[in-house]
Amino acid sequence: MDTLDLARLQFAVTTSFHFLFVLLTLGLVTLIVVMQTRFTLTRAPVHERMTKFWGRIYVINYALGIVTGVVMEFQFGLNWSGLASYAGDVFGAPLALETLVAFFLESTFLGLWIFGWGRLNRWVHLALIWLTALTAYASAFWIMAANGFLQHPVGYEERDGVLRLVDFGALLTNPTFGTALTHVVFAALTTGGVFVTGVSAYHFIKCTGEVEFFRRSLRLGVVVTAVATPFLIGAGFGQFPIIGTYQPHKEDAAPWLGVPLGFMILIGMSLLLASWAAVPLLFRDWVIRMRFPLYLMVIGIPLPFCAAIFGWLFREIGRQPWLVYGLLRTEDAVSHVSAASMTTSLVVFSSMFLLLAVTDWALIARAVRSGPETTPRPIAPLVVSL
Amino acid sequence: METLWLALLTVLVMGYFALAGFDYGTGLLLPFVRRAEAMRRMTPFFLGNEVWLVASVGVLFAAFPRLEGELLSGAHQVFTLVLGGLVLFMASVQLRLWHGLVFAGALMVSCGWGLFVAHLSGTPWFIWVVVMPMLFALHGWAFQTRRRPAFLLTALACALPVPIAFSSHSVAGLMAHPDTLAMLSWVAIPILPLVVILQWSIVAISSR
Repeated sequence: MDTLDLARLQFAVTTSFHFLFVLLTLGLVTLIVVMQTRFTLTRAPVHERMTKFWGRIYVINYALGIVTGVVMEFQFGLNWSGLASYAGDVFGAPLALETLVAFFLESTFLGLWIFGWGRLNRWVHLALIWLTALTAYASAFWIMAANGFLQHPVGYEERDGVLRLVDFGALLTNPTFGTALTHVVFAALTTGGVFVTGVSAYHFIKCTGEVEFFRRSLRLGVVVTAVATPFLIGAGFGQFPIIGTYQPHKEDAAPWLGVPLGFMILIGMSLLLASWAAVPLLFRDWVIRMRFPLYLMVIGIPLPFCAAIFGWLFREIGRQPWLVYGLLRTEDAVSHVSAASMTTSLVVFSSMFLLLAVTDWALIARAVRSGPETTPRPIAPLVVSL
Repeated sequence: METLWLALLTVLVMGYFALAGFDYGTGLLLPFVRRAEAMRRMTPFFLGNEVWLVASVGVLFAAFPRLEGELLSGAHQVFTLVLGGLVLFMASVQLRLWHGLVFAGALMVSCGWGLFVAHLSGTPWFIWVVVMPMLFALHGWAFQTRRRPAFLLTALACALPVPIAFSSHSVAGLMAHPDTLAMLSWVAIPILPLVVILQWSIVAISSR
């Protein structure tokens, strides 16, 4: 493989791993906002315990996800220096807004939320999780604006061989931005819903005794999934006319590109049907008493993650051979780096990311198995530790 | 406008080295000090410190697009080392893994930044792979032993090498267009003091 193939493979691997963390972060934080808001309003202990239990899983995932994000950010400059020098004036703007407005603030609000547990006024503490969630969504907003530009460049002017930003608003009204953002946001909500449902179902299968706790969690998870999936699928199909207009040859980019797309649609439809079938069964907890749906719920946990990777493969590979559609070819954007250097970084980052994902999974599984706390801990309950 | 963004980048980069420097220093000192206590002192600062790097690279990309690619891809292997070290260090600190991993991560990151200084300044690499870890270790020691005046000095010593080595490079013609910079500065300028205040309150709260 030459430098270009290695750089593309590295981007595909690191971005896919990064996105697994992103999905769960975005999805879970939304459900935690609901739980903590209920706790702050009602002061019912069950909501506080729910916020702590799911919050802990969220923090584990965030702490490891942030590490993948740092590598992602460097990767543009390391491997794709042609993108920065040609389109950096335009593409860099939403990316910088993401780091400054969203990520820089998000991690700071989250830090305050973690260390402020039990030490801050409860309304201030509630405001912090709301702010963390809003800045997390702002992250998705700016990243999708940047990605929308790569799919269909707008708001620029080419002068002296480089792009210049002339209309910032055009980046935000870009047809390849809004629908795709909606799709990603509801994909994250679906992931959060399916995850909370599956984990709660696991505790019912194991009969761990936390009935009230996981009954509420399961109901919340099912309802969120049922509400999110129609929008998810709507925003998914809503993109086909846009693709038809702006990237009519998308499916020709690779002969097998229909396969991941097909699987993604299949998973989306299954989740829609399953969640809508489960909603009426929430009545008198039939879904729990019937037991067999619980097993399906556990099996379903990985599905949204797979679907999201399939979706990204379709969107990104379908843009080839362009990096910035119609303007900059991928082969012209890759850095002048030896294949040996690229192989080294590919091996280093891929193996570390794989290890991070496995660790994340193992730690979450452990937190899930040990269940919600029965006695409050002396230190901040959310500091990640083994 | 261009001076402003150069100043902003310098502040962020210096902030990163002054803050994360004592994290790496703590990591380097771990085999020689009481570990649990050293880690406990660092914990409230840790996440806040590392995000300064992310902000620096974000500003580098947006405001200096033609510099970013050159700078990073020109030192590809050095950054592989720095990032590999960062992944190891951040993950092992947050998960409280075996202290040897924390140490190895800190060593990789600090040697990596040493190599980067050597790369920028054209000075021999074997000096900097020793000097940079020593500076960080000294800074970590000043932080751990709470020697305020020494801490300020070591912070400065950690923060200066990269900006000084970089100052010999001209950035003329490498920056984004003034219109883009003007638009971004509406956002960037209020954020920095806000983040500083919020990060300060994390530390204040956790020491309560």
